[in-house]
Amino acid sequence: MTSSWQQKPMRYTWSEDEAMSDTHPSLEVTVADIQMKNPVMTASGTFGYGSEYVDFIDLNQIGAIVVKGITSVPWVGNAMPRIFETPSGMLNAIGLQNVGVDGFIDKKLPYLRNFDVPVIVNICGEQVEEYLEVTEKLDAADGVAAIELNISCPNLHCGGMSFGVDPKLTDELVKGVRKKTSLPLLVKLSPNITDITVIARAAEDAGADGLSVINTALGMAIDINTRRPQLANITGGLSGPAIKPIAVRMVWQVYNAVSIPIIGMGGIMTGDDAIEFFIAGASAVAVGTANFVNPRASLDVVEGIKEYLEQHRLHSIAELVGSLEIP
Amino acid sequence: MPTLAKKVDLSTEVISNELIAENHYLLRCSCPEIAASTLPGQFIHVLISQGSGLLLRRPFTVYTVEDDQITMLYQLIGEGTNVLSGLKCGDSIRVLGPLGNTFDLSVTPNPAIIVGGGAGIASLMLLATALRDADVHTLALVGSMNQARLLSVKDLQAIGVDTHIATDDGSVGHHGFVTELLNHTLETRDLQNPAIYACGPDGMLRAVTKIGLDSGIPTQLAMENRMGCALGVCLGCVCKVQLPEGGFEYQRVCTEGPVFNAKDIVW
Repeated sequence: MTSSWQQKPMRYTWSEDEAMSDTHPSLEVTVADIQMKNPVMTASGTFGYGSEYVDFIDLNQIGAIVVKGITSVPWVGNAMPRIFETPSGMLNAIGLQNVGVDGFIDKKLPYLRNFDVPVIVNICGEQVEEYLEVTEKLDAADGVAAIELNISCPNLHCGGMSFGVDPKLTDELVKGVRKKTSLPLLVKLSPNITDITVIARAAEDAGADGLSVINTALGMAIDINTRRPQLANITGGLSGPAIKPIAVRMVWQVYNAVSIPIIGMGGIMTGDDAIEFFIAGASAVAVGTANFVNPRASLDVVEGIKEYLEQHRLHSIAELVGSLEIP
Repeated sequence: MPTLAKKVDLSTEVISNELIAENHYLLRCSCPEIAASTLPGQFIHVLISQGSGLLLRRPFTVYTVEDDQITMLYQLIGEGTNVLSGLKCGDSIRVLGPLGNTFDLSVTPNPAIIVGGGAGIASLMLLATALRDADVHTLALVGSMNQARLLSVKDLQAIGVDTHIATDDGSVGHHGFVTELLNHTLETRDLQNPAIYACGPDGMLRAVTKIGLDSGIPTQLAMENRMGCALGVCLGCVCKVQLPEGGFEYQRVCTEGPVFNAKDIVW
């Protein structure tokens, strides 16, 4: 296989600082028109609305905050139990319990405006109309840097993932949302599909500015003594280091299929994990489940990336993106 | 409600980790920031083993606070607590806390009735200490499977709490449930302004709630659940709570709790 990354357009804009700097690597990136101090975001659903972490980290130091998935009206969420730990990972079936778009704009967004950090709002729904309503409201709100379209939540019986496994539904939804906003539009892809590139291309063709790869992998665990499922929802989304190889593989596949930038996510715990995603083709990364284990995880990942760049005498993330060497 | 302290996440060393009853351990470590600010009912989230297949932290109530040190009393229940029980003096451990809310003591009870089932009594020890410090007359009813697993009785007696025991097998104290002891206490004593504080298995908490509601005694429960983040983010530890306007919502045991008003919990 030829190293196709060399022929690809840059999915990344160099800042003046980073072009000039010889000694210190620059971590600044602009991905899908979202300007960030560093390429590390927080993954939706693992960082609440930001305020939960201020005892531990300065939110200004994160690349971007992706908030918990928002729907048109508040959702009560699934019955308990909702989470279960599995080897190097966890299953969850929360059911998108959230305050609804109005609650988010009135009660959560004003707090986030106090910080100098891009706020990306993950949105979800059961019907196309719900996504459109949420998009319109967010487009009109002050302090939203981008929208991440969740077409991959495995815990909804309709909507959510059903959009993300059908290229026609993906096309319809992304086009619809695209018309409602000029904000950068990310589409979060599901790994629960035979060929992720089909959906990736559909999202790109419909006007997505970037792709978040991947959401959780559908999984299941059983209590062998009671023979009952460990989650009330029976199945749930697997996250954490257990899914990292799947995520890296899918980032690489999507990178070779589309031209828009990719935000890589799935089991990133350290800077080295993030580097793997950059090499596979991600222009930025998101830290998810690691936030549950280490509240400073996102900043530790930033630090780890910086150390790697220094050790390898690289000036920027761009030099790594899609740099997979196939012997 | 008292103001909750800033949360910290720190690395510390195990000072001791001893078997104190069948299947139950007491771990002691030095955490000055957490020791200085933990309120009754609050808990810590402990990273047990970095680098193993165990990913998530485990939540444990703070059992006692002594100067710069805190202790946690835990039951061997799965892989996490099994790894934890193997920690020796000098081993490092990561502790995040203090987390959660505290008991509402805005109305001084007389007496305060503490009802603990199994390891649930651990969530009530700091409360017992605070009540003792406030000169509140306190009764403790401690339930256990058997004498070998009986917890905290000596610790409660040492701080002057009038402590009564129930065991499932009758090996010590009342032969039966701790909730029977509670009923007996309410029936036989002349109580002026009692309040109940309970922690234990779900079945016990449901029974305590019914007793509290039927007799009109304010009852607070320290709830326990599987937890992910313990910071209010993952929404994995919720319990069903009745709303004043009707209906219910899922509230986070780690943030809105662990202490809830028993009349609000929907079982």
